[in-house]
Amino acid sequence: MNPAALVLLAAMVTSVAGFVVLRVRTGSTPVPLAPPRGSAAAGALYAFTVAFAPWAKESASRHLPSYAAGIAYHLAVFTALITLVHSLFGTPLPRALNAATAVLVAVGLVAGAALLVKRCTDLRLRAISVPEDFFANGLVDLTLVAGLATTVCPTALPIFQIVGAVLLLYAPFGKLRHLLFLLTSRRDLGATLGRRGVWPVSHPRGTDRG
Amino acid sequence: MAEQPPGTSAVERALDVLRARLDARTTALLNSCVRCGLCAETCHVYLADGDAESIPAHKVERVARLFRRYHTLLGRLVPGFVGAQTLDQEALEALAAAAFGRCTLCGRCALNCSVGLDPSTIIRFARSVLGAAGMAPKGIRANADLALATGNNMGISREDVLETVAWLEQDMRDTLGDTASAMPVDRRGVRVLYAVNPREVKFFPLSLSAAAMIFHVAGEDWTLSSSDFDITNYGYFAADAGAARAIAGRLVARAEELGVEELVVAECGHGYRTLRWEAPEWLGRPLPFKVRSFVEVMADYLAGGRLRLDPAKNPERVTLHDPCNLVRNGGVIEEQRTLLRAAAGDFVEMTPNREDNYCCGGGGGMLAASEHTSRRIEAGRIKADQIRSTGAKVVASPCHNCIDQLMELNRSYKLGVEVRTLAEIVADALVLPKGSGG
Repeated sequence: MNPAALVLLAAMVTSVAGFVVLRVRTGSTPVPLAPPRGSAAAGALYAFTVAFAPWAKESASRHLPSYAAGIAYHLAVFTALITLVHSLFGTPLPRALNAATAVLVAVGLVAGAALLVKRCTDLRLRAISVPEDFFANGLVDLTLVAGLATTVCPTALPIFQIVGAVLLLYAPFGKLRHLLFLLTSRRDLGATLGRRGVWPVSHPRGTDRG
Repeated sequence: MAEQPPGTSAVERALDVLRARLDARTTALLNSCVRCGLCAETCHVYLADGDAESIPAHKVERVARLFRRYHTLLGRLVPGFVGAQTLDQEALEALAAAAFGRCTLCGRCALNCSVGLDPSTIIRFARSVLGAAGMAPKGIRANADLALATGNNMGISREDVLETVAWLEQDMRDTLGDTASAMPVDRRGVRVLYAVNPREVKFFPLSLSAAAMIFHVAGEDWTLSSSDFDITNYGYFAADAGAARAIAGRLVARAEELGVEELVVAECGHGYRTLRWEAPEWLGRPLPFKVRSFVEVMADYLAGGRLRLDPAKNPERVTLHDPCNLVRNGGVIEEQRTLLRAAAGDFVEMTPNREDNYCCGGGGGMLAASEHTSRRIEAGRIKADQIRSTGAKVVASPCHNCIDQLMELNRSYKLGVEVRTLAEIVADALVLPKGSGG
């Protein structure tokens, strides 16, 4: 294992440990005592599936380019993370998979850069932004650049591994910790609305049904 | 009043809550927002004023900045980098403007959040911080305190309740031509306790007599209570857990004392939400009786053939306002529609509707916060536009809080509509059994 891979491995272990500590320190939401009207499980499943669809989410349908960019960006990030894990095994990706990775990461990189430009130029978005928002986006973009470079030029792998290590070490401390907390937030929202019989939505949307 | 230890400043008291009272869910939510801003137009306050301060993510950020300062490593080491903010008087005032002045806790943004966070939970946490600092709006606090002191938020005495019920009962007998019809009070061992909003007793007795008529025609075994009958909970709006628990606890204790099988909550969105969904958590135990909204009960009567309705008796066009706490946060979604289809000749939906509906602007205790009146009316413009576009002459809403706001919107935006409860519309459509004089 080359030195960069060792650094990456250490960063991965540290990052996972950091997230585990965060999760344990946060604790868990108690089971509600009120008798349910619907199913918490069905609500949670809906929250992670249909509720993401633009037709089920007004915020997504109103801002389709930004929403699509966000999805592409996150797909690229997860692809890059999987590629980083794979790199520890020291075997190259099969040619077709490498090409698919390159496309996903390239599209995500463009999307991420576009979102960064939007955050810099959109007055409304700037009003709710903090310096870390720009840093986090920049660091992820840099990781994607390194990942993309590796798909074209395998000798860039150590750079990708070092940049990836920095990203992983930073993740539990800053904005990127939403990677963990969005799972619990979304599950809790879905379970709550499921128990109350609001989700899954069981009626057709967007019509004036008298 | 909320407990305030002597000798501590408002900021210190707020800091104690900020440091100590974060539960797992709020912590997760405060770590979740990515400030994408896609939630902006899902908020009726932002749609009405276009101010970035009204974007749900901005309101969340007011709280998250304080959270980061005291609960995260980077917030302590490099506060400027992560936008962490020290809690001081200025921060508290900005928080109060966001949590009480720009949010009605309607929860519409939660359904539309990319991440899945529920800003209203965060805003309720902010309100608890502000409450500790003594910065909850005086009107909200006063309603909670009066409920704690007298058993209802309007300080209505037992004698006043009995007097109101006596003349409503006589009026119902005259209307039905049935001397056996009654509005029972404080009866033990009956199946249903019907608990009401004090506004019904004081200002809207017609909704009370409509409910009584429906119970009578359906042959229900029911009672009112002359004490601790209040379904509202301003402790919930103030996010004062102790007050909320005590207020809900009194009604729960009264229902237990009367030995009922079911607590039926009159038409009140937050009353339903707090008693159906929150009270067991506050009290730390499941309730020994069923809790349902009167809307659900009426729909059941209709489905079971215990009520017959003639829509021709309500010929004017009717539209429906969905109270956020009953519908989006409560799960009572279709029953009111079933009732209106049966009771009104021309029922049309608003757009959007059901769980997607816009708040009327009066939620979250806004109606009691007189310092935010102008913003409340401004935020109600979205609802006024919805109503106008239906062409309806009657707006039905199963919530007295919403009804108050809708009546103000009616005047402010010259909508020319009549605002009514579901029970009033259903009672007008009743096909009375033969032998009745109605």
